[in-house]
Amino acid sequence: MPDVSVIVIVYNDADRLPTAVQSVLDQTHKSVEVLIVDDCSKDRSYEIAQELQAANPGRVRAFQLPQNSGGCGAPRNHGIAEALGTYVIFLDSDDVLEENACRNMVAAAERTGADLVSGMCVRVYVDSRHGKTVDWYPWIYSTSRTLESITEMPDLLVFDTLSTNKCYRREFLLEQGLSFPVGIHYEDLLFSAQAYVAARRIALIPNRVYSWNVVENASAKSISNRRHEIANFVHRMEIHRRVDELLEEKGYEDLKFRKDVKFLKHDLVLHLRDLPLLDNDYRHEFAELANSYLATISPQAYAEVQPIQAICAYLLGKEDWKNLMPAADALITPGKLTAPLVEKDGRIYWCAEHLDDPDGARILDVTAAGYHTRPLNKLSLGNRLTSYADDGRGKVRLGGSVVNPLGRVKAGAELTGALEFRARRTSLQSFRFPLTSLTHAGRTLDWKAEADIARKLRPLGIIDVVWDVWLHLDIDGDAVSTRVSAGSIDVNSGHPLHVRPRLSRLVSDRIEPSVSKKGNLSYVLTASGAATVRTQGLIEEALRSKAAGVAKKSLRKARRMKKDLNSGETKVRVYHEVLSKLPIRKGLVVFESHMGKQFSDSPKAIYDELRRQGVDFEPVWSYEGAKPTGFPKDATLVRRWSYAYLRALAQAEFWIDNQGFPASLTKRPGTTYIQTWHGSALKRMGFDLPQMKVLGRPERERLQRGLDRFDHFLVRSEHDVRTLARGFKLREDRLLRAGYPRNDELVAARGREIESGARERGPLAAELKIDPAKKILLYAPTFRATPQGAVRRFELPFDVEAFAERFGDEYTLLIRSHYLNQVVLPPSVRGKVIDVSSGYDISPLLVLADALITDYSSLMFDYTLLDRPMIFFTYDYEEYAGESRGTYFDLREKAPGPVVGTEAALFEAVAELKSADTEYAGARERFAAEFGEYDRGTAAQQIVAKFFTSGSGK
Amino acid sequence: MTEQTAMGGGRDIFFVSNAVNELGGVATWSHQMARLFADRGNLVHMVGITPPSHPFELGPDLPYGTTTLYDVHPPSVPGAHGIKGKLNLADRRRRAARAEGMQEQAAKLTRMFRQARPGAVVIVTQVWAMEWVALADTSSVTVVGMTHESFEACRRSSRFGRVKRYYKDVDRLLALTREDADLWAQQRLDNVDFMPNPLPFFPAEPSQRTSKHVVSIGRLHEEKGTDLLLDAWSEVAPRHPGWTLRIYGTGSDEEALRRQCTELGLDGSVEWMGRTDDPEGALQDGAVFTLASRGEGFPLSLLEAMATGVPCVAFDVAPGIREIIRDGEDGLLAPPGNTLIFARRLESLLADQELRDRLGDAARENIQRYRTDEIVRRWEDLFTFLER
Repeated sequence: MPDVSVIVIVYNDADRLPTAVQSVLDQTHKSVEVLIVDDCSKDRSYEIAQELQAANPGRVRAFQLPQNSGGCGAPRNHGIAEALGTYVIFLDSDDVLEENACRNMVAAAERTGADLVSGMCVRVYVDSRHGKTVDWYPWIYSTSRTLESITEMPDLLVFDTLSTNKCYRREFLLEQGLSFPVGIHYEDLLFSAQAYVAARRIALIPNRVYSWNVVENASAKSISNRRHEIANFVHRMEIHRRVDELLEEKGYEDLKFRKDVKFLKHDLVLHLRDLPLLDNDYRHEFAELANSYLATISPQAYAEVQPIQAICAYLLGKEDWKNLMPAADALITPGKLTAPLVEKDGRIYWCAEHLDDPDGARILDVTAAGYHTRPLNKLSLGNRLTSYADDGRGKVRLGGSVVNPLGRVKAGAELTGALEFRARRTSLQSFRFPLTSLTHAGRTLDWKAEADIARKLRPLGIIDVVWDVWLHLDIDGDAVSTRVSAGSIDVNSGHPLHVRPRLSRLVSDRIEPSVSKKGNLSYVLTASGAATVRTQGLIEEALRSKAAGVAKKSLRKARRMKKDLNSGETKVRVYHEVLSKLPIRKGLVVFESHMGKQFSDSPKAIYDELRRQGVDFEPVWSYEGAKPTGFPKDATLVRRWSYAYLRALAQAEFWIDNQGFPASLTKRPGTTYIQTWHGSALKRMGFDLPQMKVLGRPERERLQRGLDRFDHFLVRSEHDVRTLARGFKLREDRLLRAGYPRNDELVAARGREIESGARERGPLAAELKIDPAKKILLYAPTFRATPQGAVRRFELPFDVEAFAERFGDEYTLLIRSHYLNQVVLPPSVRGKVIDVSSGYDISPLLVLADALITDYSSLMFDYTLLDRPMIFFTYDYEEYAGESRGTYFDLREKAPGPVVGTEAALFEAVAELKSADTEYAGARERFAAEFGEYDRGTAAQQIVAKFFTSGSGK
Repeated sequence: MTEQTAMGGGRDIFFVSNAVNELGGVATWSHQMARLFADRGNLVHMVGITPPSHPFELGPDLPYGTTTLYDVHPPSVPGAHGIKGKLNLADRRRRAARAEGMQEQAAKLTRMFRQARPGAVVIVTQVWAMEWVALADTSSVTVVGMTHESFEACRRSSRFGRVKRYYKDVDRLLALTREDADLWAQQRLDNVDFMPNPLPFFPAEPSQRTSKHVVSIGRLHEEKGTDLLLDAWSEVAPRHPGWTLRIYGTGSDEEALRRQCTELGLDGSVEWMGRTDDPEGALQDGAVFTLASRGEGFPLSLLEAMATGVPCVAFDVAPGIREIIRDGEDGLLAPPGNTLIFARRLESLLADQELRDRLGDAARENIQRYRTDEIVRRWEDLFTFLER
């Protein structure tokens, strides 16, 4: 008896069958037999099968069904009945088994005693020019696992619905009477679900076992690719119903729930994508089928999916086509805003309808997406084609409308725009056509354009076959660009237009409208004249030739070289070998704050002081991102990591930053590095961190070299010396006990306050439109990281609407999230809560605030200089400061203000702020003395005097 | 040793390593395994590619033969990197000569393998040695490749690329633990499996665990993390007077470590014991064992300590460590590099004889899953499986 029977099913696939069978015969595990079951093919499949049997006696057996069954179920069932092996594996004639598949699956089965072993499947894109492969649900197969029941890992049943990447104990199949359903598509879904549920033990292995060969762009799409047919959808819903029945029978509620979530997230998307392009009859039939299934889905499942997915399912349930169509468009392109939205009772909704229904109000609430606060040019606005006409020769008239979310584009806004045709692949050229009209139509901005494609569009030909259409708008000076979604306009029925490629009309003579995968309007070069058709054939052939291969290879090489030229590695080399040979320029100072993210903090304070004293120097500010915002106009601005940046660093007399210039850049001996640092430490830092301690010596030495570049390191207190300086292993003579320049402003503000006996609000209060009668609270939490060090998404840890409700008349709350985070405030708190996360330097905000709410942010050490009340909202103290990371001191012991852990306690502390103020006066004084003893308000002056005006320069 | 089940005359088993008697864990392991296989009636032969650079004495009567291919270590030649490298004629000549020499030595392996009886197995213990085996004709033998370190440690070394290249087509690649094997599978070495190391010894009596000695055994090299151990000890020692940390081993970092010890004010509570040839004795005298390594594979010292019934504290730096120690049940783990927690775990043992006894007894009991007869059985099962 063989260990394994591999059942290879085949239908009209004589060419590929031998490869599939050979992949079994070549298995490293030899105790394997092959059963070929032919589903009564019309080609030579069965003869080939018999030949394989004759060539491999005792190892290959061939069978043929008496009549075609039309699916995979019947032939596989036949195979199961004929198999002799202890285990059974299914293989399709167009796929192959990995050579160790049988060995690994048998080993796992014997080791664990599992009824079912499943390994990783890989999708191989056979047409791909670069051998593209994609692992199939790799997260399921990341490690070896043994499950006593499928309920331990619902994802397996929910996602991996294949029957082929698995090894079944044959006795198990027979005992359980497991077989494939016949006469229905998607038989794998049901079979695998039944097998998972029946198995008493399941083993998962991370090894690749099965290569699923995928043919893209095939003219005759395989069953699973023909999504738009309603018959398929009928089959799909039926299979889903049967699987649900099975789960219900077993009482597997969690599995059913996970499956519901997946249905909303994935299955429904597949079908909704095509909706805008399909006719009304189909839509209606589809909705009926889908809705009867959606009715069985758990209402809680909606909370687990992306808002837009839930919105689509909800609107489909209501058969609200008017609102569903734009939503379905947004589903295809994540993040796209295709509806004008409405604001109601302080919240933002997808549409105005269905809000009386509590489910509707919950699902359609999109406040958290921040569409009302994000700048227009940061939104991806929907743009739908509304008219399309051509003259049959070369001119196209197009019209469309762009969403105007919440009426944010005001009626009087200055609007201009143009349509752009851009080649998709190489984007070598683009052609612009001015709009013929652009009008504000309330909830939309409507545009019209006329493009004389035949005369104006000049593609090269061959390499720029696909052309995308973009609409560029200028709205009161803000640039907004969008693609044009074809929507329900049937652009395919537009005429092919004349075109004159630069490589002559022989390469192509027509350009045709078409719809991209994401539903956007694009154009494709085609051939119509006989000569052109012939040339295209020749070109296609030539492109597959050896010479073309060489040409393509060199092109790729050239592209790679260009990429290498701009890679970090090359830049670092150029910095050291070329730029660092240039002379150092006296007076050149490179400033950077938070790795270029801002013009802020102590580097800014030093820069301002240099300006104030009129020192003659040459300032360069580094910025990160596409465009610098908020940086001074009278300094040279260089983008971080650009060649200009590297050159400035190489030639600078001074480096001044608060976090660290790129560690891979060596500082020249002639350059003086003033590291201002950006805050005293509560949490352990540098080499006091476990993840640094565990590093090997070369890595630790590399990091130390980076830190040893600091010639001067600013400290605010002996606490900094004991913590930061020790953690970074800095030499005593590198420490500059001057305090933080950014804090000079705070010390000065406190001085003024003592002198005048009154607190003055500067221009910032007016800029933020703060009611002079209200006190100002600043909430400034720090960021939280995952154990892997990634920044976690920030959500306000208290109900900001409840806060505004209770304290809004007395206080204005400013929210300052860490610069790595973002915050979205609902419209309901407008005027009571203000987001000051970006665009403001922190020190003026601290001066403005009458009290500070923070958690572990180093701002506590700075704010204490103002001697104003503080509240510590440390709702996750154990997790944040717990034993795994460690802090330099226990905040709860030393905190100069109440430490609270819950929203209720926070609100209580805010209500009691006045009494806390006096109660903690002593603690504040001690805190300030311990952590800010060197902050005397003269830090920037001291630094300017020491390095810039004393004449020494060092 | 339990009952003998060797088949008629046993098998031909070859061990191929970088060197036959290079000082270190791999050679210790391979000679232990070779002896175990030979004891079961197999015909074992041990092959080294080159002479060792730090040899150890093999002892008089080995129950198996040894062969070293090269008389002297072949010169190393840098790889051809970039255009400059490719055009360097001297290097090219040297590379060609080296390749020719490799072919010549591989031919010796081919002859050995061809003379072997059917069912012969070649165990390649190190990937460098595999470069020669890959050149030899292995069609008549089963080749088992091994990586004797954690996946992570290998990934950080130059061996990573070579493991992926040279072990790709061996009949089975063995990592040390299931977790490591899974990581290799993700690198598309789908022929991977795993095999733990056997216990180096199992003392008749466990340690009394009543001495006030904390023991550490290992080379004084940064990878072994003695500096981290001293950091942790500096948190523990002041609170537990009377306890001594005994550090066995020598190495290049000794001077720096002694300096660190003095700086931390630990001279009164740390004893530098030098190298020991009697780990069993050192452990018998210990109440707690510490392993502060930054990287590990399947540490023999941990197996030895647990076999002696000494409760262990270790940084959880490798799958092998969490495979051996079940945290809280038969030993204690601390997150990598977290000396504060390491210190806290250590303190809990120093303060509590009852806890020491409980963990130590459990360790001695549980660790027997790696006793030699069990590991030999797993190897023999593997050989049989690979024939199916």
